[in-house]
Amino acid sequence: MKKWVTEDRMVDIVVYVLLILVGIVTVYPFYYTVICSFNDGIDLMKGGVYLWPRKFTLANYQLFLGDADVQHAFFISVSKTVVGTLLCTCFTGVFSYTLSRGNLMFRRVYRFLVVFTMYFSGGLIPYYILLKELHLLNSFMVYIIPGMLNAFFVMTGINFFSAIPESMIEAARIDGAREIKVLSRIVFPVSKPFLATLALFTAVGQWNSWLDSAYYVRDNNLRTLSYKMMTIINQTISNAANSDAAGQISQANTATSFTVQATAMAVSMLPILCVYPFLQKYFVQGMMIGAVKE
Amino acid sequence: MKKGIRKFRRQIELQIFALLGIGYLILFSFIPMFGIVIGFKAYKITSGIEGIFTSPWVGLKYFREFFTDYRFGELLRNTIVLSSLKMLFAFPIPIILAILISECRNAPFKRLIQTASYLPNFISWVLVCGISTALFSQKSGVINQLLIRIGVIDSGIPFLTDPNRFWGLAVVLSIWKSSGWWAIIFLAAISGIDSTLYEAASIDGAGRLKRIYHITLPGIRGSIVTVLILSIGSFLGGGMVGSNFEQSFLMGNSANNAKSEIIQTYAFKMGMAQGRFAYATAVDLIQSCISIVLVIVSNIIVRKVADEGIF
Repeated sequence: MKKWVTEDRMVDIVVYVLLILVGIVTVYPFYYTVICSFNDGIDLMKGGVYLWPRKFTLANYQLFLGDADVQHAFFISVSKTVVGTLLCTCFTGVFSYTLSRGNLMFRRVYRFLVVFTMYFSGGLIPYYILLKELHLLNSFMVYIIPGMLNAFFVMTGINFFSAIPESMIEAARIDGAREIKVLSRIVFPVSKPFLATLALFTAVGQWNSWLDSAYYVRDNNLRTLSYKMMTIINQTISNAANSDAAGQISQANTATSFTVQATAMAVSMLPILCVYPFLQKYFVQGMMIGAVKE
Repeated sequence: MKKGIRKFRRQIELQIFALLGIGYLILFSFIPMFGIVIGFKAYKITSGIEGIFTSPWVGLKYFREFFTDYRFGELLRNTIVLSSLKMLFAFPIPIILAILISECRNAPFKRLIQTASYLPNFISWVLVCGISTALFSQKSGVINQLLIRIGVIDSGIPFLTDPNRFWGLAVVLSIWKSSGWWAIIFLAAISGIDSTLYEAASIDGAGRLKRIYHITLPGIRGSIVTVLILSIGSFLGGGMVGSNFEQSFLMGNSANNAKSEIIQTYAFKMGMAQGRFAYATAVDLIQSCISIVLVIVSNIIVRKVADEGIF
């Protein structure tokens, strides 16, 4: 009995210690980024800032957010996320609902084609040529149109919509409702958990993507926040590699390229950090509906 | 036949939705698949779509060029080593994390840690790369500062530029980013285990470690096998942490290039930066072929073990 109790306590201690460690390792990098963004740049270079800003300043934010280029990139990122998410959610939602109907003719062929695209692709170069030929390169639409259908969510959606009883839909049809009306009045309202998860994952993907802005557009007016951040990070790295110079950006401001980078990162993770606690349920759902399918 | 047409006409609206989606897939997924042929042709981007058909065939010229390239061995090694290391280390950690979380008895603390643990999965690799410069940079990185402060080292370790440290760094960051996310699936499996089993075991005198070993682990065996099989299919992309391309692309630099360049990033740079589209397609195709074989193999294994109750 004695041994048993000690083992119990030991396991408890190990579990708590390791979990606290996990918590610190996970959260501290975010926290550190944020305190750097609020610290004076030159002061930060002296080292020793670990837990809170030593010389508090908003200069980094003034510099970063005051840049017209950054403001525009922020606007592009937001528009791309909003428009892209709306269109992708509608299109993917409607398509997967359609394929979920048991009486749909050729549904096996349709489903096979969807699954096929999940495993095989033409690779980057043919895709790039296609975008070029469709005149999508260097236009805002390159962010939206190629990502309108998510094959993975089409398949999970089929699973989800199959659970809606045909009788419910049939009843509405008998009352003379057209397909669009059935969708908007009956199917979508009862499918909120699925649609919310789909929208959330699309939005996160849109907000985070960087390759599209880096390689599919050339016009500076179409660059996203992710892209701006990427260039800032590269600049910091090359500053650090090339010289011991402070990397101070302007004479008027003590911000360094590193504190500006931290600010850019803080701004760019802000939307995700804001919605994260409230939509946590849907984040987990994205994993679970995928897992059940596979 | 007539009946079929009538049925089709009755569901014409649904069919229109379906065909719109299929049309979209044909345009954005199937047409590029035919574009693969340019890997066997002397294709120039200026000739557009037409050029895919009209360019002269060159056979396996680009494949031969890649296989005899002086970097071929290095690229292949980096791709395989990075994928294997991620498979080896990134795979057990979510399982351990899930067990730790499930063993924690303080519900609010448990929820807090779990919620925190999958946060990194939702930020971009660009951000992860930025965070890693803040933490690991040789002069100003907080880890180097701390190590110097407590006297472990005298001068900063060049985590980000030392080629010999790239593999380790890549694996650590992959684990940081995705362990909490994959722990979700194992936690769900653990919560599905019949709790009377634990009670019976403790009445029989089994301590906690014994219960973990004899009840929890066998209870989630199905999920472990499933996740393992799924990661075989995506092995070359980095397995379940699936991040080889983004990592090597964003964190690779001229200093660590010899260890960080993988087949995918090489193909990308050849195509997008140097404009050698046909060559890049050929290189990309080699990796795709290996991946397809792996996907097929993993699917065969799935069928074989499916009876053993995967989900």
